[in-house]
Amino acid sequence: MANLKTTPLWLLLLLQVIIVRGERTRDTMYQPILGASCFRRLNGTHQTGCSSTHSGSVGVLHLINYDADLDFLLGNPPSPPYAPMIPPHLFTRSNLLRLKEAGPKIISAVLLINKSEKMQQFSHELSCPNKYSGIGRGGNSSETCDESNTALTWNPWGTGLLHEDFPFPIYYIADFDEILKLENCFTKFNSVNFDSQALRSLCAVEVKAFMSAAVNSEVCMRRTNFINNLGGSKYCDPLEGRNVYATLYPRNSSEFIDETKLRKSNPAEKFIIISCRLDTTSMFDGVGVGAMDSLTGLATLTIVAHMLRQLLPDQNTLPDPHRNVLFVAFNGESYDFIGSQRFVYDMENLNFPRRSAQSTPISFENIEFMLDIGTLDDIRNIRLHTLHKSSTVAQKLLQQLNRYAKSSLYDFQLNIGSNAGYNMPPTSAQSFLRRDDNFPAFILNALPSNKYYHSIYDDRDNVGFMYANTSQDYTALTDVSDFKNFNANSLQMKIRNVSSIVAMVLYETLTGRQYEYKDVANPVLSDEFFYCFLQSSDCPLFKASSNPDSPPGLPLPPMRYISVLGGSQESSGWTYRMLGYLLSQPQPQVLKENCTQLPLFYYSGFNGTGECRLTTQNYTHALSPAFLINNYNWSSGQYSTWTESTWSQFSARIFLRPSKMHEITILSIGIVVFIISFCLIYIISSRWEVLFDDVPASNAAFPPPTNC
Amino acid sequence: MDISKAPNPRKLQLCRTYLMTGFAFLPFVWAINVCWFFDEAFRKPPYPEQSQIKRYVIYSAIGTLLWLIALTTWIIIFQTNRADWGATADYMSFIIPLGSP
Repeated sequence: MANLKTTPLWLLLLLQVIIVRGERTRDTMYQPILGASCFRRLNGTHQTGCSSTHSGSVGVLHLINYDADLDFLLGNPPSPPYAPMIPPHLFTRSNLLRLKEAGPKIISAVLLINKSEKMQQFSHELSCPNKYSGIGRGGNSSETCDESNTALTWNPWGTGLLHEDFPFPIYYIADFDEILKLENCFTKFNSVNFDSQALRSLCAVEVKAFMSAAVNSEVCMRRTNFINNLGGSKYCDPLEGRNVYATLYPRNSSEFIDETKLRKSNPAEKFIIISCRLDTTSMFDGVGVGAMDSLTGLATLTIVAHMLRQLLPDQNTLPDPHRNVLFVAFNGESYDFIGSQRFVYDMENLNFPRRSAQSTPISFENIEFMLDIGTLDDIRNIRLHTLHKSSTVAQKLLQQLNRYAKSSLYDFQLNIGSNAGYNMPPTSAQSFLRRDDNFPAFILNALPSNKYYHSIYDDRDNVGFMYANTSQDYTALTDVSDFKNFNANSLQMKIRNVSSIVAMVLYETLTGRQYEYKDVANPVLSDEFFYCFLQSSDCPLFKASSNPDSPPGLPLPPMRYISVLGGSQESSGWTYRMLGYLLSQPQPQVLKENCTQLPLFYYSGFNGTGECRLTTQNYTHALSPAFLINNYNWSSGQYSTWTESTWSQFSARIFLRPSKMHEITILSIGIVVFIISFCLIYIISSRWEVLFDDVPASNAAFPPPTNC
Repeated sequence: MDISKAPNPRKLQLCRTYLMTGFAFLPFVWAINVCWFFDEAFRKPPYPEQSQIKRYVIYSAIGTLLWLIALTTWIIIFQTNRADWGATADYMSFIIPLGSP
């Protein structure tokens, strides 16, 4: 009998277990979307980038397949605000500006979806990158780069959207599964019938990317440093990183740290600076490896450094034993030459290298000339840029470059052109020339042909890189005829050729003898270099250039955006170790135990057995002098003023947004219930004797309240 | 405290203390004074201290009103011009809103 009674109860419990799942309401309402967000950067006068509203921007999904689809949104849309999903080929300046003009009431967010089949170009840098911080007589930048004439710009495909301020967040969705989620939700709920959208629940996206900073760097830095700032909230951080430098030969001139003594450079020392850019940028946080726009230059610098290390004899046997080569990779060059401006500033103040490096400072008088490696988009079209045609050093350099480039011995079949005058590419040398236009700075730069400059699509497909994974020794030079199975047109071979030419010229400059050997740079080194920087930090070259005990890198390419203090700084770290390894000299007589203090460093080495090497590399601070100078005039344009806003989170999720009608109904019902409940309570309390006339005995025991 | 139970001289003394305290830039004390003694001053049957209390309540009411007008005007002026005043406005503020000029 008891059993019969409890059976329905058991059944009910069982049913509950089957039907009710322990999910939170939030999880059943929302579906997260993974992606990368655009964020706000500020300079001395403007804010650029995007921000959502404080609680997140919500918009109804709308897939854009053709330009005409935008007209639907910008005409008189039935259920604003909308969040258009735009493929890259429609992410153009004119379309984005139309969306911006419509305002956040119509367009509340933009999703960039990774459907790149129809994409022809995608560069949102200015057509004249860094146009306000380069050379140019009387602040006139049109001489270095003329926006009105595409042939005279350095990024002809640039739309300049990176420098626009958007009132809505822009979210990039790379993963195809995530795009499918969005498209399915759109087709299921939104695209059924566009006219009746106002009456239905629609699939909407909420993007959170709220930015704390506003107006410009001056305002947000003032607010951040503000003494009254009780909350201790940070509004923005200056873009900040590290330059990496290394010398070919270890420097002998050491300095005692005596804070009271003025520092003095050693006039006997002579340096040839070989420089390039370390960083890149893109519109979206954490995406973009800058394969063509800056990695080719860094690869060339690295391989030149390595080849010179292999070729050159001891410094004492050189005709001028005080000559040295200084390799510098500047950080933050994408943002008005942060690294090189600081480098020049430090050098002027005899503060390079820092006191803590314990070596004599290097001044401009110590610099023999500077060869800056710019972008090498197409190595058949490289030119040597000089400011003054009459420069004899430049003429000699060009003649030497071409002798090796055209030599039948090596069969590089290249021709280095020349270009004299103010039409100079936006590279680090401009910071040096800006200080003194007679400074002997020359730039190796190819004609611009990168359609994805400073963008998320400047990846390994853009440079056509295929990792050969040869596992061969890349530390030795190879014979010119030994291609190591690489195609003559492969990226590895192109970089090998350019690097070899530059290294041969430097060999000739330093030794005074023509280079006559058949050894050239090793294409395997180039292969390993690009694998590390384009595909995975967990790679043979990075492993060889770390301590054997240090953990391997992440299986992702290092982040190459300069970022802020406390940012990743991965690429400068890896470049520091790699350049250190390739430029250092083995010290077989030093034991592992004694190899702990810099400049000695214990490297894992090519075969992983471990070796002690004498290194020369170091960091310098890449923070714009604008943040060091007291009362700096932010609108003067003298130094880079870029800062990055702080934010609390980036997220996106989709959900079903009820129609306006639905929302109003629910709210009205709520208000009505609220009013009714008040009336009810009033009636009950005023008629309590009627309702509760038979007061229970237990309550009657209390005496009624007395009136005093 | 139930004011109706206090003796009349005590009421007068309290009302006076509140009026005086309000002069220390504390308009809320005046506002409380007005609310608290309004019935005493205007609704209770007359008694000797009432005229004095009435005067204090009226003074407190005037003070409250002046403060209200002054504060409202300042808040409107400050909030509408905060962005334009730039650094000056920032130095006046303790809490600066995020993400806006």
